Amino acid sequence: MSIPYKILVCIKQVPDANAKIYLEKTKPHYDEKTVYVINRYDEYALEEALQLKDKGLTHYIHTISAGPDRIQKALRRSLEMGADEAYHIVTGDDDCAIPYYVAQCITDFAKNEYDIILTGVMSQDAMNQQTGQLIASMLGYNYATGVTGIQTNDDVITVTRELDAQTSMQYALKIPCVIAVQSSSIIPRYPSLSNVLRAKKQHIGMIKPIMSSQVQYHSFYTIPQKTTECEFIQGRTDQKVVELYKILHRNAVV
Amino acid sequence: MCILIIADIKNNQINPATAELFTAANTIAKDIITTVYLLIPCNDVKITSNYRPDVKTIVIGMSIYNYNAQGLSKAIASIAHDIKAHYIIGLHTPFTIDFLPSISIEYNAHCITQVHTIQHDEHLTFVRGSCSGKLDQYIDIDNKPVVASIAPGSFDEYVADDTDNSINDTINEVTQITIAAAEKQLCTFITKENKDSSLDEADIIIGVGKGIGSKDNLTLIYNFAKIFPHSAVAGSRIVCDYGWLPYSKQVGITGKSIAPRVYIACAISGSSQHIAGIKGAKTIIAINKDNDAPIFNISHYGVVEDIFTFIPQFLEYVKRL
Repeated sequence: MSIPYKILVCIKQVPDANAKIYLEKTKPHYDEKTVYVINRYDEYALEEALQLKDKGLTHYIHTISAGPDRIQKALRRSLEMGADEAYHIVTGDDDCAIPYYVAQCITDFAKNEYDIILTGVMSQDAMNQQTGQLIASMLGYNYATGVTGIQTNDDVITVTRELDAQTSMQYALKIPCVIAVQSSSIIPRYPSLSNVLRAKKQHIGMIKPIMSSQVQYHSFYTIPQKTTECEFIQGRTDQKVVELYKILHRNAVV
Repeated sequence: MCILIIADIKNNQINPATAELFTAANTIAKDIITTVYLLIPCNDVKITSNYRPDVKTIVIGMSIYNYNAQGLSKAIASIAHDIKAHYIIGLHTPFTIDFLPSISIEYNAHCITQVHTIQHDEHLTFVRGSCSGKLDQYIDIDNKPVVASIAPGSFDEYVADDTDNSINDTINEVTQITIAAAEKQLCTFITKENKDSSLDEADIIIGVGKGIGSKDNLTLIYNFAKIFPHSAVAGSRIVCDYGWLPYSKQVGITGKSIAPRVYIACAISGSSQHIAGIKGAKTIIAINKDNDAPIFNISHYGVVEDIFTFIPQFLEYVKRL
């Protein structure tokens, strides 16, 4: 009997879409005014877990995140949304940008403790789309990615995995398993007042990262090269309107 | 050197974009003598033609209806081991990305995903979009094997040159690898019928991002589209997740790839997920109030304006004509 499930949701804190980014030497740097949020795909992963909780299938949702002190805000938010416990793997900004290392740390924490490990399909900033798969392979668990639907029947979980806008695959995963959740039309919930009050008092567990934060490969960042020479239309707004009309006319669409 | 190319599967066929991987493989190989293998991850797709006369084809002896990411990645890792693959490359699509990273664990390789450029000068460097497309990450390749996913549309499809007269439709060498029965599972495919072909047929597509703010505000975009005959409105994934547009209007890796004469991106920042779907557009015009938005890097024309002030003025101007 597997119910109630023990669930771990992996979350990442990311700069919001409006964040201004700078290059500092060859590394990304966000200015101090940057607002950080939970990666949107991870919110969907947490929402899937919370829906299992609503159905009485779990009362054991843990969240985990790797990064510097500021990520505690994201973990606190996960408690406010309804997670039961939150854990912080304390790493620097550079280490938590390496999917292999983050997967190693999470695998080391999760060991054989959880029935279902949920992640977002990718992070909206780095877009690596591999951490879930790496965790599953390190643990030797069944897994599925790009999941937009989860149905449970004791120790068998049926997932719907999106291939494109028209096509999905459906199959069963035996637990323990890893599920990487794709965004969908379910809307991740806002924290309720009672959860916000409860979360205030909650302790966030601090986890020491595993050793060997050896960089897997040498990498550096640059401003993207333009693949087109973008001609910026200049002038006042009304002049730009006229100019854009001319361009569209030249391209024979008006 | 040895490169293993993994064919992508789409609608129970080999995704034609797989041909882009042969161009990527040529960039990796440069002048180094290289053996190229094409791996087909299931045995129930039609193998239509060979891409190169010297390519050896390996078919995994598993039906797509028994798909299992774990079993498949182990089988591929064991093949990679046998042929001593230095590079294992696949397309960055929902199908392939499901099992590709796991090969890197089984095969002890680097895993580099969503690569859009490969540079091979003195050193070999893989380039991928990061930081929501605002920066590129350059990864120097060392001696360890590499598993990489290549963003669709990043390379031209491989075309054999005229001297390659040995190209033919026969498969030079096919090896079937069987997956253990224990690792097979039963999959069903669900296809949503979609009679909406408006994005395929339109001359001009107006794309809209989260910046539109609400479903009601889409009226502005519909009015903008109405100016043009043969137009259609499309959106980024998030716009469809919010229910502002149906998923049949979604453009990007998980949605449609479009190729209209003109694409106008309204308040779309231009994540690599979205950009992969619009590369076929002949002319790309971006309207965005953020002059740093990555969409301008792939646009032909840029208008740095708030769509809520610019589009109404544009509509007003057209009305007066």
